[in-house]
Amino acid sequence: MNNRFLTCVLMAAVLTFSIPALAHHGNASYDVTQKPTIKGVVTEFIWANPHCYLKFDAKDENGNVVHWLVEASNPPDQTREGWTKNTFKPGDEVEITMGSVARNGQPIGRFGSRIVINGKVLKG
Amino acid sequence: MQKYPIAFAGALLATMLLSSGLYAQQAPQSKEVAEALAKRRWNNSPPVKAAYANRRPSRPAPKRDLSGIWDGTAEGGVEGNGPHEYPAGDNGNQISGREDESAVKRQLPFTAAGLAALKKNKPGVGVRSVDVALANDPVNTGNPQGFPRMLFYELRVFEWAQLKGQWIYLDQFMQNYRVVWADGRPLPDINEVEPRWFGYAVGKWTDDYTFEIDTVGVNEKTWLDNPGRPHTYEMKVHEVWHRLDYDTMELTVTVDDPKYYSQKWNGLEKFIVHRLPDTFDMEEFIYSGLETSDYDDLLGTKAVIGKGK
Repeated sequence: MNNRFLTCVLMAAVLTFSIPALAHHGNASYDVTQKPTIKGVVTEFIWANPHCYLKFDAKDENGNVVHWLVEASNPPDQTREGWTKNTFKPGDEVEITMGSVARNGQPIGRFGSRIVINGKVLKG
Repeated sequence: MQKYPIAFAGALLATMLLSSGLYAQQAPQSKEVAEALAKRRWNNSPPVKAAYANRRPSRPAPKRDLSGIWDGTAEGGVEGNGPHEYPAGDNGNQISGREDESAVKRQLPFTAAGLAALKKNKPGVGVRSVDVALANDPVNTGNPQGFPRMLFYELRVFEWAQLKGQWIYLDQFMQNYRVVWADGRPLPDINEVEPRWFGYAVGKWTDDYTFEIDTVGVNEKTWLDNPGRPHTYEMKVHEVWHRLDYDTMELTVTVDDPKYYSQKWNGLEKFIVHRLPDTFDMEEFIYSGLETSDYDDLLGTKAVIGKGK
């Protein structure tokens, strides 16, 4: 029972709870079976109602820049997870595992199970 | 100006969908996050449910006192699919577009008139949910959610404040408030007064720890909850706020509307709310027209339905 073990248990619990919660949002516009992990650089983080969202630039397989938008929940919900308006800053390198993506092919997603900012996993 | 209702509709639907899922099954919170939040002086966040487990009462309940800041979030107060006792969604909203609520596990006692009224309301959530473009939720077009919907949806953080002869309910969501007169005045004759979005309310102590409120005169343009349960202007709502100890109170909310429901029903039944510290600073939770418009353009209905941007 060391800290590493407890961390693993905690992460497992987070994944167990957060995946079904986000899968719940699988309405017609979102494909919850698609959970790509995208790497990119933050351009802006919007802390606002009804939902906070992140803008970041990533490159597709052809090297073209794609402007991604990723949605979180509302500020009170995100505060509860320890987020602030400064959780993401322009220039941060991020690796986002989506919980779902827009069916219409737009680079729009919802946060999923894992967020890495400048090499550090964001804890919820 | 025409942009606002569209933005609001998309924003509301998205919030209902996201928040109903997130808080129906609240994610655990790491020790680091809990500790960091506990140190905050501004924009405080209520503890998660686990933090309340096995907590012993700090002191006995004060007599005839509701005052303070309270948390409904931990016990599931974010009721995106309808009130706690009668949700209109299945597990995960896999069913939508139904004409009635026969697919709902615990059904409300609709009369024929109530069922007909229900069918006119097109919600964005629950088994009868329709695409947001077809929804006619009055909140989508900027109307107040009204009462008792303020207790049947987004029952997060709220404050009871006492003034001379009245109790004021201050709601985090949309920064609404509600006045409950406790100076002995009777309820008005609803045929003599104009309808109100939050109705006319009077309350009294029925014992030292139980405050009961009766509300009438609610504008029938309001829905009772997100899934579009209707009510008439003749509806009466009875609340029982029962203080268990200093830290805990339970709330029961009864809807009495015989034209639409053959029996009274409790949307909340002994629902637990927890006392928060007096220093708790309530985070703002308002959908402004500016922000929701931006959201809708980038991430809302227009962005994710059809071809997109």
